Amino acid sequence: MPESLLAPGAVLALWTLIMLGWVAATRFPALAKSGIDLKAAPPGGRGADLETILPPQVNWKSHNYTHLLEQPTLFYAVIIFLHLSGGSTDLTRGLAWAYVILRIVHSLWQARVNRVPVRFAIFGLSTFCLLALSLLAVIATLG
Amino acid sequence: MDTNAILGPVATLALWSMVMWVWMYATRIPAMSRAKIDAAKMVGGTGKGLDDVLPQEVQWKAHNYNHLMEQPTVFYAVALALAIGGMGGGLNAQIAWAYVALRIIHSLIQVTVNRVLWRFAVFALASLALLALCLHAFMGFVLH
Repeated sequence: MPESLLAPGAVLALWTLIMLGWVAATRFPALAKSGIDLKAAPPGGRGADLETILPPQVNWKSHNYTHLLEQPTLFYAVIIFLHLSGGSTDLTRGLAWAYVILRIVHSLWQARVNRVPVRFAIFGLSTFCLLALSLLAVIATLG
Repeated sequence: MDTNAILGPVATLALWSMVMWVWMYATRIPAMSRAKIDAAKMVGGTGKGLDDVLPQEVQWKAHNYNHLMEQPTVFYAVALALAIGGMGGGLNAQIAWAYVALRIIHSLIQVTVNRVLWRFAVFALASLALLALCLHAFMGFVLH
């Protein structure tokens, strides 16, 4: 296993762009199928406008990409705090890898099956990892 | 090589976000008073609610400010990680400058003409720049 606490962060950042690629790969064929021409799109259109136009399975990829720009931003901040304040231990590295693996599973679930109770359970577990990391970051930075 | 050179574009994009914040309010507050909305009496509204009330050109500034709180947060994380890992100089710093320049162009398109195809093209280019930084971080921290 890579020794740096920042390694799981690098994986999650890369995963985020893979999800963006998945959004593009499914959205463009869906746009073509529904007869939407980007060149003729009215000024100011946004991804969120496609919510009522494209099939939900297509939008699920985009929902997940958006989620990856929400809570994980806190994760990046916390692992950087830990890394810079001597808080990189077996425990924090394990929690950080667990967080990233759970977020990738969360993405795959949301993009494909998307049953809410399961998504919630995965999100809940990953949030506990982040909570523990946040607590350890407070201890490492104040201690 | 200055391995912290990547912090220059990081600071620039953060500052640009604050410029967009000012631009948003400089257009929103006059538009709200023209629309006879009295913020002093508002309870619980969000900026999104203004999409139905204010002219779209005014809301485009807010849309872009919101976007700057989305993908660029991954850019900040990756750029900081690269700097900490001694990889924030040379090519990575240049790619980061390209990302920031493209995001500024993206902002200017979105708040003025807001043609979707142009905006998309610039966003896609910026995303490729970010992808390159992510791959370099992955190679440096995970494969190393």
